[in-house]
Amino acid sequence: MKNNKVSKVLTYIALIALVILFITPIIFVVMNSFKGKLFISDQPFALPKGEMFAGTANYVTGIEKTDFFHAVGYSAFITVFSVLAIVVFTSMTAWYIVRVKAKFTTALYFMFVFSMIVPFQMIMFTMSKLADILHLNSPIGMVVLYLGFGAGLSVFMFCGFVKAIPLEIEEAAMIDGCTPIQTYFKIVFPILKPTAITVAILNAMWVWNDYLLPYLVIGVSTKYKTVPVVVQYLMGSYGSKDYGALMALLVLAIIPIVVFYFTCQKHIIEGVVAGAVKG
Amino acid sequence: MKRNKLLAVALSTAMVAGALTGCGGGSEEAKKDDSKGSVYYLNFKPEVAEVWEEVAKKYTEETGVDVKVVTAASGNYESTLKSEIAKTDAPTLFQINGPIGYQSWKDYCADLSDTDFYKSLSDQSLAIKGEDGGVYGVPYTIEGYGIIYNDEIMQKYFATSGAKAATTDEINSFDKLKEVVEDMQSKKDELGIEGVFASTSLLPGEDWRWQTHLADLPIYAEYNAKDVDDLDTIEFTYNDKYKNIFDLYIENSCTEPTMLGSKGVNDSMAEFALGKVAMVQNGNWAWGQISETQGNVVKEENIKFMPIYCGLDDEANQGLCIGTENYFAINSKASEASQKASVDFVNWLISSETGKDYMTNKLGNNAPFTTFSDSEKPSDPLAQDMLGSMESGKTSIPWVFTTFPSQTFKDNFGAALLEYAQGTKTWEDVVSYVNEQWATEKAAVAE
Amino acid sequence: MEKNIKRYFPIFVLPTLIAFLIAFVIPFIMGLYLSFCDFTTVTNSKFVGLSNYMNTFSDKEFLNALWFTVKFALIAVVTINFFGFIMALLLTKGLKGTNFFRTVFFMPNLIGGIVLGYIWQSMINGVLAHYKVTMLMDPKYGFWGMVILMNWQMIGYIMIIYIAGLQNVSPDLLEAARIDGATELQTLIKIKIPMVMPSITICLFLTITNSFKMFDQNLALTAGGPSNKTAMLALDIYNTFYGKVGFEGVGQAKAVIFFIIVAIIGISQVAISRRKEVES
Repeated sequence: MKNNKVSKVLTYIALIALVILFITPIIFVVMNSFKGKLFISDQPFALPKGEMFAGTANYVTGIEKTDFFHAVGYSAFITVFSVLAIVVFTSMTAWYIVRVKAKFTTALYFMFVFSMIVPFQMIMFTMSKLADILHLNSPIGMVVLYLGFGAGLSVFMFCGFVKAIPLEIEEAAMIDGCTPIQTYFKIVFPILKPTAITVAILNAMWVWNDYLLPYLVIGVSTKYKTVPVVVQYLMGSYGSKDYGALMALLVLAIIPIVVFYFTCQKHIIEGVVAGAVKG
Repeated sequence: MKRNKLLAVALSTAMVAGALTGCGGGSEEAKKDDSKGSVYYLNFKPEVAEVWEEVAKKYTEETGVDVKVVTAASGNYESTLKSEIAKTDAPTLFQINGPIGYQSWKDYCADLSDTDFYKSLSDQSLAIKGEDGGVYGVPYTIEGYGIIYNDEIMQKYFATSGAKAATTDEINSFDKLKEVVEDMQSKKDELGIEGVFASTSLLPGEDWRWQTHLADLPIYAEYNAKDVDDLDTIEFTYNDKYKNIFDLYIENSCTEPTMLGSKGVNDSMAEFALGKVAMVQNGNWAWGQISETQGNVVKEENIKFMPIYCGLDDEANQGLCIGTENYFAINSKASEASQKASVDFVNWLISSETGKDYMTNKLGNNAPFTTFSDSEKPSDPLAQDMLGSMESGKTSIPWVFTTFPSQTFKDNFGAALLEYAQGTKTWEDVVSYVNEQWATEKAAVAE
Repeated sequence: MEKNIKRYFPIFVLPTLIAFLIAFVIPFIMGLYLSFCDFTTVTNSKFVGLSNYMNTFSDKEFLNALWFTVKFALIAVVTINFFGFIMALLLTKGLKGTNFFRTVFFMPNLIGGIVLGYIWQSMINGVLAHYKVTMLMDPKYGFWGMVILMNWQMIGYIMIIYIAGLQNVSPDLLEAARIDGATELQTLIKIKIPMVMPSITICLFLTITNSFKMFDQNLALTAGGPSNKTAMLALDIYNTFYGKVGFEGVGQAKAVIFFIIVAIIGISQVAISRRKEVES
């Protein structure tokens, strides 16, 4: 019994030490974001007090230099609509593929599965050229690209789930005179909800954080820069590396993620587990 | 409840579908001014990025023509231009850095011989001409670089006992410079500085002062000795001269050589502006960075230039390194209207009152056009000192680095310098690496 | 019913298919073809046979990147899975506050690679500044920096999968083991580890593929410095495409090789999990 208590205390000590290790980098960045930019590389671990304290100056420059709030807006727009498009369209496609048994649907299924193992570098050059030719260098164009490149995993996950839905309910609905569209949205989609949440979360995390695709397609020449693109743009020197502004921007970039995380933590963790196990 | 959700899904589907079909319409919008053309300038100088934005806004206000300015990150101009120019909305106005730049971009360079801005060049031989006799690049500024020093600190030093020189004029050779610098470094506490030289910034992308500007001197000497103006392979004959000055920079600095990989140009300029160091190698364009540093303690009249003495022949007559790597070029693949709009934009920059004011006073350009009178030269201390040096009869060193093979060459050179500074590569290895890289990159570009 | 649905192809499949064609199928086929071509833009290609592939294998930087990636993947896979598993064990003891710990450990996983890279760049350079060096001093700093970063990012993720696996171990079995007088270590080796084997397979592959495909973190943390010695495969391919003029074909050939490597890992994962399923 006593032994048990000791091991409990030891476990807590280990866990708390780990918590400290895990949040140190974040505290470090927050702390330095309030420091004058020249003090950051000189005294990285000192508290921002006295002459080092820069108030919100770094935040102001960071936001101004990168037009940060617009970037958040574009990131949010692209993420929300890409995720919506992915969830709606790929689940429809998956249902179709499972319900219509034909050579071409099997072929489609294998193409989608195949695309899951292809790394982005394989298609990055040709895809960005094609996107340019088709004028997809806008937030709406990005939605199309994310739908296309994200389709593989999402169709795969939905297919796995649709297979488990008994046919009888749908047949009953159709006999009652529902069109396939009505049947799908009234009967099938509600059943798919848990998978839809998983797919939405996995894709939201990917799209929000993705750097290379928006950088190559939207690039630096349009106004539609997303958050990762502006962070890299600020740091890809811009002639004058400003560590203060960078720290502030890192903090600002983390905030939406943390808020999102704490509001739907349960779904996120479940979704990630489900995604990993199926993917 | 369920019904509501269904409705929401249906609605959002409709929205997305609408958005998808609307995407063709979205790009039409950007093209509505096709008849008028629009300007897209890909700017090379990050330090004046904001000024260019202002110029663009002003021009659009005055003429109604859209001007978009995009600034490439430092050290990324070539790669940004490469990806941008292949796009359908490509830059209409960009810059090439000299003959090498022209070779890479000649498929995109329009002939400028009929433009007003070419005709008003004060010296038309400055422009870049193709083999067919056409004009493909027109310089818009003449610049100079050297060692910038803080005269207040120098005077303080000259007053110390046992000073190795009494005036800055006495410093006119590498040997003298070395003697003075080393003595100053040993008296740094007395002088109230942290080191003689500002950080030799070797952060990748921030190392152009060394792999491009400083390297100009030994390569120029090599060209001179061989009586050529370009080479497919170099011997780096004067690498010892380069090493002379580079060692002096890193050994007598406010920053440990092993920490140089974390420093950017801005850090160096801030150290100078805050009076922590007495000298920094840079050009007249750096004035903005010095004057804008918060807590700046250096007085305007104390900021001066001296040539980069590294032990070449006839140093007594050596002047600053003067030249340009900034040539406007117009994209021949852009629409007629946009090409014309870009020509008009440049004409406006060099002839209208507003344009000229921006060019000289805000962009700090020493513009080589007859439309600028003598009073319309930049008035900052570095530009003034540079103009003085050009007229003093000393021999300016031309910018031959415009013949350096490629950005990759420069980046690799910079990386090797960093390793040398940190003590992880020997100087011999740097030299042979530079020679090898020069040859491969020249061959790759020629292909 | 099937026929009825079939007519709805334009509504159910077409939107996804068009996007899929634009974003994946066409670029993929073009990419395969272009790896045998010399080109600067997609429209002016010239067939050159295998020469791009020859150039790839004589490219020292590519070979260096390949070796670096393999080394990195090995170390990252071992450390992440080791720590992730231990933490999962700690968090399945039924202690109070488990939820809080799980929340904290998982959080870094949501932060994007670029942001993560810069957070760690400033942290590591801050620590190294005490020893008067920077991360660009020696590739080993960049290497270990990346290992630490990857651990920080992925441990929480891997841990959660292990927790899910451990929670599936039947309590009756553990109870029986306890009554039989098995020590904790014995229970771990004889019962827990065999029972979570499926999770272990998943986690191993997740960490391997993620390590191989790492790009954003690499770009932000070291950008390959010093002298491209810490550039991993994805970054090397990117540099070949966009850094040098005239090397697009070589870049595409490298990308194909990269694809083959990643595909082999992916396919062997499927094969192994299939076999496992059959066995059980």
